[in-house]
Amino acid sequence: MDARKSSIAIGLVVAATLLVIAAGLMPGARTLSFDAVLRALFNPDGKIESILVWTLRLPRSLAAATAGAGLAVSGYLLQSLTRNPLADPGITGVTAGAIAPIVTCFVFLPWVSGLYYPLVGLAGGLAAASVTFWVARGGNSHPLHLALGGVSVSLFLGAITIYVLLFAGPQSTALLFWLAGGFAGRTWVNLSQMLPWVLLGVLGALVCHRVIAMFALDDHSAAAMGVQLTVWKPVLLLLGVCPVAGVAPVAGPVAFVGLAAPHIARLLRPRGTVWEIGLAAAIGALIVTAADLIARTVAIPKELPVGIVTALIGGPLFVYLIQRGRLDFKGQGA
Amino acid sequence: MSTNVPAIGLPSRWILPAAAGLVLLSFVAAIFLGIVDLPARDVLSALTGSGSREARSIVLDIRLPRIVTGILAGMQFALAGLLLQTITRNPLADPSLMGVSQGATLTVTLFLLFTVYLAHPDSYSVNELPIAWLPPMGMLGGMVSGGIIYILAFRLGLSPLRITLCGIAIGAVLHAIAIGLIAGWGSARIEIILEWLSGSLYARTWDHALFLLPFTLAGLAMLPLIYRPLFLLRFDAAVARSFGLSYRWQFSVVLLVSCGLAASAVGAVGPVVFVGLIVPHLARFLAGRYFPLVLPLTIVLGAVIVTLGDLIGRVAGGPEEVPIGVVTALMGVPVLLALLRKVP
Repeated sequence: MDARKSSIAIGLVVAATLLVIAAGLMPGARTLSFDAVLRALFNPDGKIESILVWTLRLPRSLAAATAGAGLAVSGYLLQSLTRNPLADPGITGVTAGAIAPIVTCFVFLPWVSGLYYPLVGLAGGLAAASVTFWVARGGNSHPLHLALGGVSVSLFLGAITIYVLLFAGPQSTALLFWLAGGFAGRTWVNLSQMLPWVLLGVLGALVCHRVIAMFALDDHSAAAMGVQLTVWKPVLLLLGVCPVAGVAPVAGPVAFVGLAAPHIARLLRPRGTVWEIGLAAAIGALIVTAADLIARTVAIPKELPVGIVTALIGGPLFVYLIQRGRLDFKGQGA
Repeated sequence: MSTNVPAIGLPSRWILPAAAGLVLLSFVAAIFLGIVDLPARDVLSALTGSGSREARSIVLDIRLPRIVTGILAGMQFALAGLLLQTITRNPLADPSLMGVSQGATLTVTLFLLFTVYLAHPDSYSVNELPIAWLPPMGMLGGMVSGGIIYILAFRLGLSPLRITLCGIAIGAVLHAIAIGLIAGWGSARIEIILEWLSGSLYARTWDHALFLLPFTLAGLAMLPLIYRPLFLLRFDAAVARSFGLSYRWQFSVVLLVSCGLAASAVGAVGPVVFVGLIVPHLARFLAGRYFPLVLPLTIVLGAVIVTLGDLIGRVAGGPEEVPIGVVTALMGVPVLLALLRKVP
């Protein structure tokens, strides 16, 4: 695709996302008609319709879109950084690393304000990612080491999380719903907590697109082109962890988006790194918004955690990618 | 297959007796130590059949069954891990790689969800929960998800890489669904699942030990049959075939044994994943790469690690005991990290 087609593709995906958000304003425990939604959207009065639209449905859909874009860019960065098609926030242990300390804070240090949770998540995610990358020698060893190291780190942190949950007592139900990933009852405040982190990741990735493109070569070639590996690897890792740190305290772990969205974006073959990042972000937003809509409409008035829906979408896609041989690590002696 | 000298320089003929001694030691320690301070004399008299009723019930009905269950489960996890690591030539393989623990989690969740909701919608008491059915259900789930991963990978030529990738994918999906179900379910009975999920020997009875025993025996009985193929399965498919091994068939048999061992153990004690990962490495560290020694040592050390881990969890946590899954995870990580860095 050339630049024009790439921008059209991004435009289409964004339009589809907006459409899903708009469509998501109507269904729910109380179904609103199209007219009612329009009226509530443009002339908000204090009535139940505008409350439904403005404080319940719009913020959560926007939060879903933001989270999706952030996770997708995070996955894109981690995949580029490691040159490993398996890398994503879940498999490298970043999500588990962000979740475990937040759960611990929630249960044992209740006086820590929720505002600091992104920072806690950032520290945990960075620590977990560092361990995984240390194990995988910065992605230079056998590609499976990264996946297996990350999975092991996740299992370890998961054991801690479960153990902490045992202490949580009556809070464990609320924590578990959060742990399953979801956007129920997320407000404008949550959105504003999440947005800076996601923006930091997305804009940072766009600014660094030249370096990211050079990381597609191997380390030696990138170094020969003038990329300072000792500087850029940590920077890109930090940029990759930021969106997860922002999303995790609000939405919990949303599985597979970070893995799937960059792969779908690459399947469409946009023109260059900038377009790939943009497309991945747009696709991630679309996936999570749609998954959120599905999660809250299939079982009205109850809702499923959005993590189930993304896992059910992303898992088969992952298996499909394996079957197509897209995750074959060609020439790496697997 | 070279006869490397053991890493710690202990003469290899002393390793097995030493390990056996360690089993005995941990077994005795686990019987005599506990949250209730029973004098050693009372424990001894309870074991010989006399003694007070209280001491007898503590020793014979609470401590012994959970120790025996732990020993059996530990042996199974360790053996399953060793087999998987050997045939996938992946030093980081453990039973959760085949989706065994995630599948078991999902079926146990589904089972509790359906039986509890359909049969006793109003009951809140733990006693009415069909706990006796959890082991077979967990095992079923573990086997089914192992089977799904096997079928997916079989279509792709059954290479270790494919198994690993499919295992990661299916495992993650099953895990997400299970966690989602638990969350969406959100009732007062959640603690049962949480306790099971963290892997625990709490309140294990002779029923659990009896459930495990046939699988342990069957797994051990299979060992002489798969022992020679195991040597060849450590090589590439092409090399193994050139030695006259029917690769797919033998690979599948070993995989089945491994899954069966792991799934039944997961059913009985919950996903104590790290045992299957660490113990084979510990055995290799002690015995070098001499497989005839590594194999029995793995089995013995599996029993020791679980017994000691459970003992630590029981004694360290006070009245709130620390689940064995957490203890093994905490103990396992330093080992794991050191080990991962060593692998080229």
